[in-house]
Amino acid sequence: MNRRVLLATFEHEHDLLASAIELRKRNYAIVDAFTPYPVHGLDRALGLPPSRLTWVCFVCGMIGALGMLFFEYWVGAISWAVNVGGKPWHSLPSNVPVAFETAVLLAGFGSVFALFAVCRLFPGKQPSPLFERATDDQFVLLLDEADSRFDPSQVLSLLREFNVVDLEERIIKTGEIRKC
Amino acid sequence: MTPLSEIYSINSKRFIQLAVVSACALVAAAVMAPDRAWSNLLIIAFYATTVSLGAALFLALTYVCGASWNVAFRRVPEAIAVGLFPFGLMLLGVLAMNYKLYEWHPHAEGDPGSLWFKEAWSSPPFWMARAALYLGIWFVLSRTIIGLSRRQDKSGSPRLTLANRRFSAMFLVVFAPTFALACCDWLMLLDPMWFSTIWGVYHFAGMVQATLSVMVLLAVSLRNRGPLAGIFSDDHLHDVGKLLLGFSCFWMYIWFSQYMLIWYTNMPEETSYYLLRTRGPWGPLMIANIVLNWVVPFFVLLPRPCKRSSSVMVRVAAVVLVGRWLDLYLMVFPATVGPTPVLGLAEISAAGLVIGLFGALFYRNFHKSPAVPNADPLLAESLHHHC
Repeated sequence: MNRRVLLATFEHEHDLLASAIELRKRNYAIVDAFTPYPVHGLDRALGLPPSRLTWVCFVCGMIGALGMLFFEYWVGAISWAVNVGGKPWHSLPSNVPVAFETAVLLAGFGSVFALFAVCRLFPGKQPSPLFERATDDQFVLLLDEADSRFDPSQVLSLLREFNVVDLEERIIKTGEIRKC
Repeated sequence: MTPLSEIYSINSKRFIQLAVVSACALVAAAVMAPDRAWSNLLIIAFYATTVSLGAALFLALTYVCGASWNVAFRRVPEAIAVGLFPFGLMLLGVLAMNYKLYEWHPHAEGDPGSLWFKEAWSSPPFWMARAALYLGIWFVLSRTIIGLSRRQDKSGSPRLTLANRRFSAMFLVVFAPTFALACCDWLMLLDPMWFSTIWGVYHFAGMVQATLSVMVLLAVSLRNRGPLAGIFSDDHLHDVGKLLLGFSCFWMYIWFSQYMLIWYTNMPEETSYYLLRTRGPWGPLMIANIVLNWVVPFFVLLPRPCKRSSSVMVRVAAVVLVGRWLDLYLMVFPATVGPTPVLGLAEISAAGLVIGLFGALFYRNFHKSPAVPNADPLLAESLHHHC
């Protein structure tokens, strides 16, 4: 599906931040924002829902810890019981360090690869920057023009207040912009 | 709205009343069982001293890192750290009361010659002198840092921040070895045959956990009552919460490191400590210690909204503070009081006494200087802190 969007470019992060807050206050639909570096408070200004990555991390960590505890129990007490220093077959304290490491490993890998998957990132992927200077020194806000509430003249005057340096209309494929 | 000074005086009065009532109850308990009362005094004196020391450590760490986020509520740890002097004196008094308990080899059995170092190390004069030295050093350095911070309110010179950074670095270097030795002197020697090389780190973790919890309680109460309203933000709370979560995990990590090595090597001189504390009625308390200090803070503080909610944070902080007390109780009581855990008038009145003294001293100290370090060059950055 194609979508008509308005690209508003800013020179400073606080202009982007303030305009995003103002636009959302007036119920305009912001598709996304592109910045060279993470801008503090932008997620709140865009009204993004809390990241679900934390849940991926937690579940992966739990799978790592509990899975490894069970595996160690199975190896040490059921499949091939070996007497180590006269300890009981199933010795929880000796199993904890490996379970801890596995929890950390799976939580880390799980969140990183989940992020890659959601963002469709993989080695060798050709970058196709929609707005090249957003990777360098400019801040870009994407507004949905197809939105029925979109009022061009009001938006323009509002953006001028925040020192917008460039405005551009583009038609983009929905697949090109993806929220992580 | 009631004026600020009135809030302080009402609070101080309540805390002093609590302290006086508890002190009377503790005296009554001491008549019945002096050893038990002394053990309680040791716990509360050590508790309050380390919380004050932890606040000084927090100040020093944030100065050395050049941190700005904590500046807005820095007067809270400052006012806590001032308590190092009275509580340090109290601890010295408590230690002097029962110094014989710490003597190596008190019953003249066995062969002292092979352990001449331990004999000399725990001889009462040297032992007391060391305690005074540790407390003196911590007091002087922490007071210097607090004094310079307060002087900055008047002079406004950014150089004082730089000076404090240097004193803080000095404090950290001195703090690490002295604190590790002090914990061994005051708590590990209660069981003179037993030793753990991780003891200092273990106490460091517990101390920081307790200090952060106290800071949460006091900062949130000051925010609700006015002085820090609009200054101590949810973002500050969030960051303190992250530290609390981290240090709870660190405490568990160290607790387990100590336990697992002793369990694994299974040497009689090391296992004696845990044999006493994991069997019979002490066993459930050992589990409760882990639940209060790690399980509760870990699972409750993991989600972001919980760390930003003052009601959740206050509850977790209270749980951690009870956990810290239980941790110390499990170190001291099996060694000094006896084979079964006790909880009664002595324990409750001691807790009341330390809460009363701590609260009264805190409000008194907090009132002495402006609630915000208003001339600190990093204050503006701290007030706009986002996390």
